[in-house]
Amino acid sequence: MLPKFDLYMPTDLAEACRLKGEGAKVVAGGTDVFVNMHGGKDRSDKVVDVKNIPQLQGHSFSPENGLDLGALTTHRDIELWDVIKKHYRAMFEGCSRVGSVQIRTRGTLGGNICNGAPSADSIGPMMVHDAAVVVAGPANERIVPLKDFYLGLKQLDMKEDEILKRILIPAPKAHSGSFYIKYTRRNAMDLALLGVSAYVELDGDILKTVRIALTTAAPTPIRAEKTEALLIGKPASEALLTAAGKTVLTESHPRSSWRSSAEFRLALLEELTVQALQEAIAQAKEA
Amino acid sequence: MQNITIHTIVNNELYIRTIPVNMTLLQFLREDLHLTGTKEGCDEGECGACTVLVDGHPMNSCLVLAAEMDGKHVLTVEGLAEDGRLHPLQEAFLEVGAVQCGYCTPGMLLSGIAMLNLYPHPTREQIRKEMEGNICRCTGYERIADAILLASERLAGETEAH
Repeated sequence: MLPKFDLYMPTDLAEACRLKGEGAKVVAGGTDVFVNMHGGKDRSDKVVDVKNIPQLQGHSFSPENGLDLGALTTHRDIELWDVIKKHYRAMFEGCSRVGSVQIRTRGTLGGNICNGAPSADSIGPMMVHDAAVVVAGPANERIVPLKDFYLGLKQLDMKEDEILKRILIPAPKAHSGSFYIKYTRRNAMDLALLGVSAYVELDGDILKTVRIALTTAAPTPIRAEKTEALLIGKPASEALLTAAGKTVLTESHPRSSWRSSAEFRLALLEELTVQALQEAIAQAKEA
Repeated sequence: MQNITIHTIVNNELYIRTIPVNMTLLQFLREDLHLTGTKEGCDEGECGACTVLVDGHPMNSCLVLAAEMDGKHVLTVEGLAEDGRLHPLQEAFLEVGAVQCGYCTPGMLLSGIAMLNLYPHPTREQIRKEMEGNICRCTGYERIADAILLASERLAGETEAH
């Protein structure tokens, strides 16, 4: 039984911003909010359902501009979209492993981003694809790179009266590839014990661009920029990737939880960073 | 608002009801419409026992508000049989013995039908992946997969016959 609340279902974005500013809980797919309400963790007395707001809907791709995703785009939309599998492989790997079909059908990218869990499977892949979010307030909007959107545990660069409107992801570059590896204890319906996303652009054998993001390795999803800097401009040798696996340990801070010890997470980080890079490089060579 | 009037089509029948906004679709089906085929398991989206199709898409009805169902089509296990004949997937479940305690079965059937609509010729691996959100605590998964494969063959046969 859900607690009692007042429900608002506006079609106007500014109206939704105003309600959020007054303390209303924003709900889209409800796969986090209603779970928390059922469990007694969320007792919001006002709920604003944003699914009827046109500016948050729809998703499109163009080879010039890349992806323009409404915040309401679901994980299932991403999973079943051939463009994603072809050009944004890490996003396919991440989004297709969130929860179950039922959860992916309801849960939205905007919701996954704003819930801001360190274990969120969609965020690392979007970070390595250089995503930016469009955040709308009652009067104007601004664009924030996703890698700068997290200020601390569950803290977002978003004001009380702002709502995440869209997600912009650049067009795929030539000779680029990406991958996401999610480590779980069981194959289905499990949170990432650890996750590594990698994106590379190759110039012959040289790693021209590298982006790495870590899941469940810090209080927020993070980019591993030191490791990226180590790799950029060098040939993708086995020794270099092994070194990357070591460097990534210096810029991650996994904690011990009932799911795993920090030590095991560090061992995974070293190994999965190498594997994710290898997979991304293999993708780039095929592209 | 604390109450809302919805027009919703459940199993091809139109219902107009005024309901509290915090009522889940699961409660609406079971307690308002008395369609108790849809089961409550975990009430937090983990088990899939409450799965129904909304406009053809599988959802955990415990995590959906009935208030959102205005103008939508909902399909529950009660709506699967047509003209007194069970759905081919229901028949297959009976034939291969895919039902033990039966509590997960309504959700399994709805997820299975959604999957067969998307992948008419699934592999066993696809079945495992697509059905990951439905838990059977009798652990009768092998026969559930067998039943889905059998139904997929029969449904393909029906399509060819037309």
